[in-house]
Amino acid sequence: MKKTIAILAATTALAAAIGLSAWSAVSAEPDAEARPIAAAFADGQEAFPLVLVSDDDDGEESDDDDKDDDKDDEDDERPKRSGDDDDDDDGAGRGAVNPAPAGSVTPPQNGLFGNGAAPQVQVN
Amino acid sequence: MKSIVAALALTTALTLPGLAMARPVTLTTTLNNYGGDGAYLVLYVTDAQGAYAGSLWMAGGKSKYYQHLSDWYRATSGDPAQINGISGASVGAGRTLRITLDLADALFDAGYTVHVDAAVENMRDSPNEIAVPLTTKGAGTPVGGRRYVASFTFEM
Repeated sequence: MKKTIAILAATTALAAAIGLSAWSAVSAEPDAEARPIAAAFADGQEAFPLVLVSDDDDGEESDDDDKDDDKDDEDDERPKRSGDDDDDDDGAGRGAVNPAPAGSVTPPQNGLFGNGAAPQVQVN
Repeated sequence: MKSIVAALALTTALTLPGLAMARPVTLTTTLNNYGGDGAYLVLYVTDAQGAYAGSLWMAGGKSKYYQHLSDWYRATSGDPAQINGISGASVGAGRTLRITLDLADALFDAGYTVHVDAAVENMRDSPNEIAVPLTTKGAGTPVGGRRYVASFTFEM
């Protein structure tokens, strides 16, 4: 009888732990205060990047000087995403913090994802 | 002995639903041959009230261009923490991006909507290019975009 009670207690605790964490992750809004477990992960996510202030938002035309590593063309009317002149501007001192690519860290604990597999991506 | 078996059955029945609260979902986005460079795309979810709920994927690695994904940027201020671990390369014209994610069951048939914002160098930005309700009934049904996306489908 003691064994039965012990098993019941252990499995009930397990079910409660899983249920509580799952409920906490999916039932509250992302920035809600009342999300005790998921909020702990979210806090960690927010604390991760150190965002530096960009020096490039003053609208000066000289920002387009590609010869200077400290400047680039961020103030262009349209973004340049695939040109080769954008691949060399990630030196020290830049203000932008790029996200961690898939596979390098776990997805954010935003309540959308389960606890299962990592994202799989394919481009054809 | 019988009581132990009964207890095990009961607790297993209680535990399994917790483990099965997510399912793999494949999101397929095919771009038009719009004649430009690679597109930045962001896939994100809003709840039944239209409030931003979270991001699913960011195609495009340089955060300084995220301002052109204007609806998403307005909701997140471009916060990289929203897309850490769920970002990859931009997508070329005519190409197909296929992402498989383990998504919470609670997202389906609960008023959530998946959105796609798109932007291309030297071309017009296209916020809310796609907006598709996350319903089990809508799974597998292609939806056309407004400017750069030829079709978008989610499959379970």
